[in-house]
Amino acid sequence: MRTTVVFFLNGKRHEVGSDQAFQTVSDFLRYERGLTGTKVVCAEGDCGACTVLVSRFRAGKLQPYQSINSCIAYVYSLHRTHLITVEGLKRGQELHPVQAAMVERQGSQCGYCTPGFVCSMALLAEDAKREGFRPDEKKVRNYTTGNLCRCTGYAPILEAGVAMDLDRVQALSSFYGDDRIEAEFSAIRVEGIRIRGEGKEVFLPIDLTEAVQERASDPTVRLSAGTTDLGVVSNKGKLKLTRLLSLQEVESLHLIKKTGNRIRVGARASLHQLERSLADEFPEFSRMLRIFASPQIKNSATLVGNLMNASPIADTIPFLRVAEVLVLIASPQGERRVGINDFILPGYKKLDLRSDELVVGIEIPLSDHRYKLYKVSNRKDLDISAVTFAARYRLKDGAFESFSLALGGVGASVLRMGGIEAQVLGKPLSLNLFRALANTLPGEITPITDVRGSAGYRLRVAQNLLLKFHDDLAVEEGLGINEASL
Amino acid sequence: MSIGTNIRHDSSVTHVAGESVFIDDRPEVRGEVHVGVVGSPIARGILKSIDAREALAHPDCLGVFTAADFHAKHWGTITHDQPFLVVDAISYMQEAVCIVASSKRGSVEAIKKLVKIEATPSEGVFSIDEAKAKGEILYRAASPFIQGDVDAALKSSPHRLKGIFRCGGQEHFYLESQAAIAYPLENGQIEVHSSSQHPSETQRVVAEALGLSFHQVVCVVKRMGGGFGGKESQGAPIAAYAALVADRLRRPARIVLTKDQDMMITGKRHPFQNEYEVGFDNQGRLLAVNALLQSDGGAYLDLSSSILERAMFHLDGAYHLPNVRVEGICYRTHHHPHTAFRGFGGPQGNMTIESILEDVAHYLKKDASEVRRINLYSGANLKTPYGQVLENNLLPRIHERLLLSSGYEKRLGEIREFNSRRCGKVRGISLTATKFGISFTARFLNQANALVNLQLDGTLQVSTGATEMGQGVNTKIQQIVAHAFGVCPDAVRVMPTSTEKNHNTSPTAASSGSDLNGAAALLACDRIKARLIPLARARFQGQEFDPTREFESPESLTPSPDPDMVFSEGVVRDQRSGKSVPLRELIHLAYQNRISLGSYAHYKTPDLGFDKTRVVGRAFNYFTQGMAVSEVEVDEYTGEMKVRRADILMDLGRSLNPGIDRGQTTGAFIQGMGWVTSEHLVYDRDRNLLTHSPTTYKIPNVQDTPREFNVEFIENPDNDRNVHGSKAVGEPPFLLGTSVWTAIKHALSFRANGQEIRLVSPATSEVILMELTRLKGE
Repeated sequence: MRTTVVFFLNGKRHEVGSDQAFQTVSDFLRYERGLTGTKVVCAEGDCGACTVLVSRFRAGKLQPYQSINSCIAYVYSLHRTHLITVEGLKRGQELHPVQAAMVERQGSQCGYCTPGFVCSMALLAEDAKREGFRPDEKKVRNYTTGNLCRCTGYAPILEAGVAMDLDRVQALSSFYGDDRIEAEFSAIRVEGIRIRGEGKEVFLPIDLTEAVQERASDPTVRLSAGTTDLGVVSNKGKLKLTRLLSLQEVESLHLIKKTGNRIRVGARASLHQLERSLADEFPEFSRMLRIFASPQIKNSATLVGNLMNASPIADTIPFLRVAEVLVLIASPQGERRVGINDFILPGYKKLDLRSDELVVGIEIPLSDHRYKLYKVSNRKDLDISAVTFAARYRLKDGAFESFSLALGGVGASVLRMGGIEAQVLGKPLSLNLFRALANTLPGEITPITDVRGSAGYRLRVAQNLLLKFHDDLAVEEGLGINEASL
Repeated sequence: MSIGTNIRHDSSVTHVAGESVFIDDRPEVRGEVHVGVVGSPIARGILKSIDAREALAHPDCLGVFTAADFHAKHWGTITHDQPFLVVDAISYMQEAVCIVASSKRGSVEAIKKLVKIEATPSEGVFSIDEAKAKGEILYRAASPFIQGDVDAALKSSPHRLKGIFRCGGQEHFYLESQAAIAYPLENGQIEVHSSSQHPSETQRVVAEALGLSFHQVVCVVKRMGGGFGGKESQGAPIAAYAALVADRLRRPARIVLTKDQDMMITGKRHPFQNEYEVGFDNQGRLLAVNALLQSDGGAYLDLSSSILERAMFHLDGAYHLPNVRVEGICYRTHHHPHTAFRGFGGPQGNMTIESILEDVAHYLKKDASEVRRINLYSGANLKTPYGQVLENNLLPRIHERLLLSSGYEKRLGEIREFNSRRCGKVRGISLTATKFGISFTARFLNQANALVNLQLDGTLQVSTGATEMGQGVNTKIQQIVAHAFGVCPDAVRVMPTSTEKNHNTSPTAASSGSDLNGAAALLACDRIKARLIPLARARFQGQEFDPTREFESPESLTPSPDPDMVFSEGVVRDQRSGKSVPLRELIHLAYQNRISLGSYAHYKTPDLGFDKTRVVGRAFNYFTQGMAVSEVEVDEYTGEMKVRRADILMDLGRSLNPGIDRGQTTGAFIQGMGWVTSEHLVYDRDRNLLTHSPTTYKIPNVQDTPREFNVEFIENPDNDRNVHGSKAVGEPPFLLGTSVWTAIKHALSFRANGQEIRLVSPATSEVILMELTRLKGE
């Protein structure tokens, strides 16, 4: 059993255990290594000033670099990774082409967000080079969605992204000799890691059996996945982390596999992987994931993590509920599969899960249903939703052969709207029907007033989304309805 | 020739490389202490006790300090009414009650939690209406601004509209939160490094807090990670906390607020609630405007009086108001003390008239840009409500050109057509203007001093009171100095701002940083040049320099260097004789002849002086003007809005650095857009700020910016009021963000069926949807 994690930082090997392993990556960089280019502003993964690039060693190779928020990632999660910070992008005195373009186009003003933007755009350069595309303004936007700037109004940054000299971009793997790093990682014996320090303990097993035992051994053990939520609540002093279990070193749980008529999503598969993997089978869901969160968050966060958070405004849950996914649960008693709609219990954040159980994955059944997913928030991208809407349906001869509906943000949990489903089933698509449903909605949901919207607003949005659903379908089905129902 | 060229920001290379040093990037030194602030758990009441026993028992705790530890109990920029730490009365939620010192960074939060505060709450005042009912007035403007006879004109106007315009506050969201490090020096001195727009005030506030004379304190500002006005006054007490701990423990002390705490403690842009009645003719020409501006000042005065006045100064917007009365009152509430924020009241005044004009156009069923055009300052109609007459007025030209370049007419037609299709989306387009008065309205602040040191190798070090917060003031000063000596910009370094080099400086605010400090630096350069030129002339005349005879160079406080002696490309050339000498050689000669190669200069803006009691005089040196056209699309199902296109045309005189000015323009516009759309401050019943981090407080992100975004500057070589014919840029374009809000109003007008549109700011998705719902009568 190891008691340290080994990683490379800008080409230099580090082996860290004990207290330092429980630091956030950004604190480690800034206060232990003096790499103060990485900034911390919000400490909750929302502003991107702490963005760094990371490549994980998996299946004998360093995988493509990805951006993460270092303020909510922990050092213990860095085992067998290569981390590149803003300081590591300059080669000698020569600026990275992204840095040069940012200088040239006046892309930085106060400079505090700049290192984060530079890292996000260096990743764009890396991907553009590897995948052979030329960054246009849209691409630059998509790669910098997770970075806030208060000075520039973004225009000079977008220009810099488009203007960077792609011909001069070299693969990050060539910066510090990733072959050498891979060789070193290959030489590390694959085994579980247990680190203790600062009154905390984390266990990173390499196989599921050990994970299940650890989970069952102590109900206070918390699962540490992408820590995009755990890191936030810990940073904000709302939760003291003591015993942690991370499934990161369990290789099989990173996979998204298509088997027969279902897709199995491992507990550690990131939302970024998911967005790419489901583009063909569930294009609506894949598209929703695009605006769901920033690249940095999606590179760390997992589908299972979003489900386990169980928030009434968790963006994936409405889809999971109408898609009728299965939740895969492991415990010392063996594995069980529960339908999502039984797994989520009525009430705030209540799940059918015993303290000795562990969710190891989700199975999404393939079907010929169609989906409509809506997410409404104050700001379009990267904002927690006020209301979410997921419908799964099949129309036959203009009538609903199948219809499932889930709404988020309108009650203590994401709700399956059984009453409405029953009224729709078998009926033809008509405005009168959906108007009537919208009118019954006040009796079906109990939205609350909070920072993201008033109860009245949420109700109105939910009602309007029913009409929008009707209108969208009417257009798609060519029913000759050209005017919005509003 | 570096003036007018797009040279890069002087920190850009270190910014992109992650090598720029901000306060918390400074290495920790031996014995350094970390300071945290404990805030009040109630918004109003009386502090009964602070129990620090448990905190002091924490192994890392080095002390807990209260108001009793401060020499002066209060501070304040205009009046000293705000306690450093609560003395007895608590006036807002999270008001600083005590500070803790910890030997470890990681223990600050834990120690803070161990401090127990007991307080007796009482009923607070949290809105302008409540404050009005209770007569809680912080400041009332000395005199209203009056032109013509507003009552008679209202009475005789063919049409009248009456209403209340409401706009919300705004969090600065500078990325670097308030931060300072204080180093105790010998003989009781303190050196404080602060993220501050106002090092001179920080120096004074720190000295007063500690009971030191001012010469015992030096304040250094290398740079800020954003300021936007939030570090004009409110950085000072934060620095004082660090200084107090440093002084008491004789150890360096560092304070770095978390983003959450910064947002909860510090004041915001002032919310306003402006009552008005306007009269207008059939064309939409404003005949009379009667307005009462009312702001929520928060718990203490801070800069609220000046901000209220600037709102009054900008109520006219870009429009001539023949009969007008503008009054202003700032109310006291139990909110964080509201403070300077880019525009400084100007946006709240300006937006009121833009909202009114949008309503007038809607009421008359006319195109709002045409209604605006006929109201613009133009021809002989150049007198403002405060009596100052506009000079070098470009508003009509800007309007004409922007309408053309933005394709306004054609797009308006397309929008009408689009909206008639009722596809679930509704679009709007709107043009608004900015005519921003440049100068501090407090005359004494319009001064600056600069120190220029010419080194023997021909490079220069420049120090001024300007602080760099990203706006590029250092780069512009670098350009001015490089230009003066005809050297490349890289030969000039603008040094960290420090109160020992530049005294009694004004805050870097009011968009004036480059104007004032650039002019002072230029003056200092001219003084050095005036000494070098006679020397060059002597050399060209073949004079031998005799070690037994002193070469006397004249000294002038207002030098005008011989224009025929040109400093260019590292050479000094006499245009008449064609003779030249390399600058370095001349410098060396000057040094050998004991001629000073450094200079200091003081600059004050000429012809300024406004009496706010009598409402006479020149309040502003000049105006920066501009206009924007924005087009928006509103989702009628959800109220979500996006900006399809924005076109901006600014008059920046002869821009010192078009690249920097362009960045200031786009940045200000987007910040203004955020203020009127997604940036919504939400408090709970106890007045805890709920939106205290970017998860809940939504500044625009990269996806929110206009899909098409055009920025142009209009040619204007005629501004002789400012250094090198340039114009200030920091704040004026902020006001143009308003065009997004008026465009939303325009979009809603297509679903209003002739009803009045009641839109508040910020127009969040919720505000938009609920107003749409009301208009449709659903």
